[in-house]
Amino acid sequence: MSGHDSKYFSTTKKGEIPELKEELNSQYKDKRKDAVKKVIAAMTVGKDVSSLFTDVVNCMQTENLELKKLVYLYLINYAKSQPDLAILAVNTFVKDSQDPNPLIRALAVRTMGCIRVDKITEYLCDPLQRCLKDDDPYVRKTAAICVAKLYDINAELVEDRGFLDALKDLISDNNPMVVANAVAALAEIQESSSRPIFEITSHTLSKLLTALNECTEWGQVFILDALSKYKAADAREAENIVERVTPRLQHANCAVVLSAVKMILQQMELITSTDVVRNLCKKMAPPLVTLLSAEPEIQYVALRNINLIVQKRPTILAHEIKVFFCKYNDPIYVKMEKLEIMIKLASDRNIDQVLLEFKEYATEVDVDFVRKAVRAIGRCAIKLERAAERCISVLLELIKIKVNYVVQEAIIVIKDIFRRYPNTYESIIATLCESLDTLDEPEAKASMIWIIGEYAERIDNADELLESFLESFPEEPPQVQLQLLTATVKLFLKKPTEGPQQMIQVVLNNATVETDNPDLRDRAYIYWRLLSTDPEAAKDVVLAEKPVISDDSNQLDPSLLDELLSNIATLSSVYHKPPEAFVTRVKTTQRTDEEEYADAGEQGLSDSPARVAESGASPPASAAHAQHPAARQPAAPAAPAALPDLLDLGMDNSNSAIVSVDQPATPAGPPLPVLVPASTGQGLQISAQLIRRDGQVFYSMMFENNTQVPLDGFMIQFNKNTFGLAAGGPLQVPQLLPGTSASTLLPMVLFQNISPGPPSTLLQVAVKNNQQPVWYFTDKIYFHVLFTEDGRMERSTFLETWKSLPDSNEVSKDFPAAVINSVEVTLDQLALSNMFFIAKRKHANQEVLYLSAKIPRGIPFLIELTAVIGTPGVKCAVKTPSPEMAPLFFEVVETLLKS
Amino acid sequence: MISQFFVLSQRGDSIVFRDYRGDVPKGSAEIFFRKVKFWKEDGGEEAPPVFNVDGVNYFHVKVVGLLFVATSRTNLSPSLVLELLQRIGRVIKDYLGVLNEDSLRKNFVLVYELLDEVIDFGYVQTTSTEILKSYIFNEPIMVDAGRLPPLGPAAMFMQGTKRMPGTAITQSVVANEPGGRKREEIFVDIIEKISITFSSSGYILTSEIDGTIQMKSYLTGNPEIRLALNEDLSIGRAGGRSVYDYGGSAGSGAVILDDCNFHESVHLDSFDVDRTLTLVPPDGEFPVMNYRITQEFKPPFRINTLIEEAGSLKAEVILKIRAEFPSDITANTILVQMPLPTYTSRVSFELEPGAVGQTTDFKESNKRLEWSLKKVLGGSDHTLRAKLTFSQESHGNITKEAGPVSMTFTIPMYNPSRLQVKYLQIAKKSKAYNPYRWVRYVTQANSYVARI
Repeated sequence: MSGHDSKYFSTTKKGEIPELKEELNSQYKDKRKDAVKKVIAAMTVGKDVSSLFTDVVNCMQTENLELKKLVYLYLINYAKSQPDLAILAVNTFVKDSQDPNPLIRALAVRTMGCIRVDKITEYLCDPLQRCLKDDDPYVRKTAAICVAKLYDINAELVEDRGFLDALKDLISDNNPMVVANAVAALAEIQESSSRPIFEITSHTLSKLLTALNECTEWGQVFILDALSKYKAADAREAENIVERVTPRLQHANCAVVLSAVKMILQQMELITSTDVVRNLCKKMAPPLVTLLSAEPEIQYVALRNINLIVQKRPTILAHEIKVFFCKYNDPIYVKMEKLEIMIKLASDRNIDQVLLEFKEYATEVDVDFVRKAVRAIGRCAIKLERAAERCISVLLELIKIKVNYVVQEAIIVIKDIFRRYPNTYESIIATLCESLDTLDEPEAKASMIWIIGEYAERIDNADELLESFLESFPEEPPQVQLQLLTATVKLFLKKPTEGPQQMIQVVLNNATVETDNPDLRDRAYIYWRLLSTDPEAAKDVVLAEKPVISDDSNQLDPSLLDELLSNIATLSSVYHKPPEAFVTRVKTTQRTDEEEYADAGEQGLSDSPARVAESGASPPASAAHAQHPAARQPAAPAAPAALPDLLDLGMDNSNSAIVSVDQPATPAGPPLPVLVPASTGQGLQISAQLIRRDGQVFYSMMFENNTQVPLDGFMIQFNKNTFGLAAGGPLQVPQLLPGTSASTLLPMVLFQNISPGPPSTLLQVAVKNNQQPVWYFTDKIYFHVLFTEDGRMERSTFLETWKSLPDSNEVSKDFPAAVINSVEVTLDQLALSNMFFIAKRKHANQEVLYLSAKIPRGIPFLIELTAVIGTPGVKCAVKTPSPEMAPLFFEVVETLLKS
Repeated sequence: MISQFFVLSQRGDSIVFRDYRGDVPKGSAEIFFRKVKFWKEDGGEEAPPVFNVDGVNYFHVKVVGLLFVATSRTNLSPSLVLELLQRIGRVIKDYLGVLNEDSLRKNFVLVYELLDEVIDFGYVQTTSTEILKSYIFNEPIMVDAGRLPPLGPAAMFMQGTKRMPGTAITQSVVANEPGGRKREEIFVDIIEKISITFSSSGYILTSEIDGTIQMKSYLTGNPEIRLALNEDLSIGRAGGRSVYDYGGSAGSGAVILDDCNFHESVHLDSFDVDRTLTLVPPDGEFPVMNYRITQEFKPPFRINTLIEEAGSLKAEVILKIRAEFPSDITANTILVQMPLPTYTSRVSFELEPGAVGQTTDFKESNKRLEWSLKKVLGGSDHTLRAKLTFSQESHGNITKEAGPVSMTFTIPMYNPSRLQVKYLQIAKKSKAYNPYRWVRYVTQANSYVARI
């Protein structure tokens, strides 16, 4: 044997497990140690060695720390799958936690905290209590983290045993490592609790600022991040804080520097003296630039942060544009970010230098980078009026090289320049037209056609040029077809001669009779009607002056920017998304609600992490399992709460004015359930839900493009379903650039394609676009979106209807878990779903409520709810001409009552 | 906080896998690898170091061809994680002497022991080799560094790490020498990575030096060390409002740093007075000081490119490099590269007469000319002629479709900033105590580009 650990990976011909078992029980210490190493080796390559549990635990009582650590490592992995046997280890743990050697004490507490078995957790409390007050700082710092571990398993226990106070005491510990871990643990506990547990007062602030100077670099990051939540009382306190944090900018650890920057930026908001602010900006600039000398991975993070900082405080790096020039060997992700910042810092003063750089980048090899560089030139032209002409001449130079994708990209940006500076640079149109037949990308083609239409009166052969496109009209992508249509109309309005007139007929015919694209058809009909009824009005509409555009393509909304700035030095500032958008604790809570039907329809989901965690007995998976109950706890109140909120949004007629139809890309309300995750949709994520708003059913959808290409031409189709729900119009989704998302409300109609058979809530949907295969997914029809606003009944009508229906039409169901705590609240909630209150009566200690609802075609539902207030258990009876719908109805009522 | 840490080989095998919080499923390593690979194939792009798949955040860095990855579900500091990943690499290297797939596999027990101390429940505890020594009980098993393909400076540089060739000492800081006796020595390396962009007329558009003073100590008993730098060293561009403002400073001999930062063990008490740094070096390799200079410096190489068209389907490229550093210094592993027009079909090369250690190549796949020279003496110049044959007529402007010319090289015992370690003083335990001190300088090209 070579004496290398890798020998433990080799397998023997004889059964491996029995052989290991034998060795583990050997009387020789060394042999036992070797055997445990072999077990660990097997474990790391994913073999199941859990059957050796007892034998391994037997090796635990040893003086040999190396062996002990190995056994502990094994225990962490397998304790969950063998909870009864794990108890065997408890005695040794408790004993070890009182060992004279601090390393063993710490090791015992650290390991026990990682074993997520309830029975063990109980035994953990006493040792933990002792270790939190241990003489040795190594033990105390380990115990501090252990409190966070315990809180994750059993929060109540932590609070009952007073561990939180013990933890708070550790903030004043004389060892900075202990302080840092206590801060980290408290911050985590605070995150998962709704009560104020860890509030930073001016007293803790000054203690922590002192500890900062002595901490390890990592501890400094914990402390700085925790302190960044502190709001200084006034400008003077803010200045004091900043003064004590500023020396951190000199740290070699980039994480310390960025966290210090965050803290300073935060406090700067409060500082009123412009001199102080200017001075701080001056101090921050060199360290920020120095981050760009770090590894490219760190550079990327720094650049994403700098992007935010310069949007808020452009002066900080105004003179440093040169450091953002791309290096030849920068990875592409760094180059792309640098370009973005160069555009942001471009000014009249440095534009010549910047253009020189862009021009150079535009001849490099990487196609994506070249495109972005060309686009950057255009964006500078739009941003800097005085430099526009220079930018255009650079673009023309690039066009002359005749590299196909450069030409196309240039034409796209020149279209924007024309929009920004109308009637200024038309002289270059002739040059552009030379490249006409090389265009093969839809966006470039569409841009060129727009230019021809817009300036038809100045292009002598505009009709010929457009005509050349018309032959292939039916084959063109929708984007190009739409532009061709508009451009031809413009041409006709500007030159109402015979040629254009014939053209317009061809186009209108193509765009109405010959097309399946409803967008195109609608637009064509509008033009057609306008032209045939009032050509002057057509002129006013089509040739109207357009509003001036500005370069805001990568500008963030100010409120989002502020939120991101307060999250500098976190992932949020790298993704440029607020934390809620990607922190999955939120997401998993929502999933619990969707899980069951995701199971049924969406096979692709089986790849998703939640599922993987549940299959297989491999060690970390079982650990993930343990997490589950803890994760569910906060989930329970969160998920149902989403439902009435959504309904509120959808059904409240009187307030509909405050709900804008074009929901922002980051929805203000609860996020829609994800039906096609990006992993299944090759990067396209589709979220959707049926909602009711203003008396109509809508399919509220959100598309998120995480692919590397723009997606366009979105269409949707619904399969036959119980209610015959179908799209009431075309799906209005604009071209989606990579990294962007779009929300839309698709109006829905009923009774279009009814599927026979028993009622079902299944809604099968197909979505396609021009770039990807068709995505099929299933959604669930929540019955109450169908309840109409006119469902309210007079008492007399209610009674009559009730009597007129035979008793066989009455169905009832118990909801043992549902509870009515307040009649008013419940009624309000139900009313939001168009279930209207008729009357109530008391029956012994029970409340009986009567309500009515109606689904389209006037089918009524007469409802009787019986419950004891405040006690779980609600009985629901319903009488309706369509009793086959009752199961669907009960499902919804149960959900609503549980919220 | 961090949920998992793992190391993947280039093929995606997981070499080390440690789960700290159990809130990310085990399949994460495969999900990650597929994502990164797919990213590459899709348009030749490289995955950014931080991304999110299905609610799991993935962080990764490349260290000597291995992928060091961490996952998390929370909104934590990405720079902390990325920095940590680099540091874990450094700590493991300190322990194992050599960091590669082989040494990791052979020492997996030690590596797990380290990982347990470095991170607890997703919180970084320490990355100091010095502190870790008191908690770690496994002995490293050394792999034979000699058998490994040498990690040339250029190769290291391609990995984008700050680890430098000067510190290619493949010895563990904890393992004892075979003879049982440890050699008392300390290495101080001044490593400068230089970036220059020349305009087509040879004028310097941008220039930058990223410098590091790297230390690796094998001294027992951790004596205090004083490191003295140039006395006329100044920090911050004095009165300089703009980066382009080199006025007056150039040529005056003073070394002006734009900015610098220090390792936490460094005491700066006397730095402002006499430019000396005091520190008790922890074990292991670490940067004492990082600095950045945009002050103008003399570029070590000048590059001249001439392209002459010879008929419609032919052209000749003449590349000339001139070494502008003293003749007692030699640069090595020089590589000159130049992208040629995409329609180039054939290239024939003509080296200067008597050329030794020079090779040329035309990389068909990305249409790139490569010229490598083993050694270049200071003051010398070298020329390469390349005759290009095109498959189609050029658009009339070859210079726009070729280039820029880029260079990589390493120049030992030379640093363009003139920053110096004037002396290295070790607090003496006894008169006889006289450990070996190695102060070494090396300059490497980072982005050395001449536009044409």
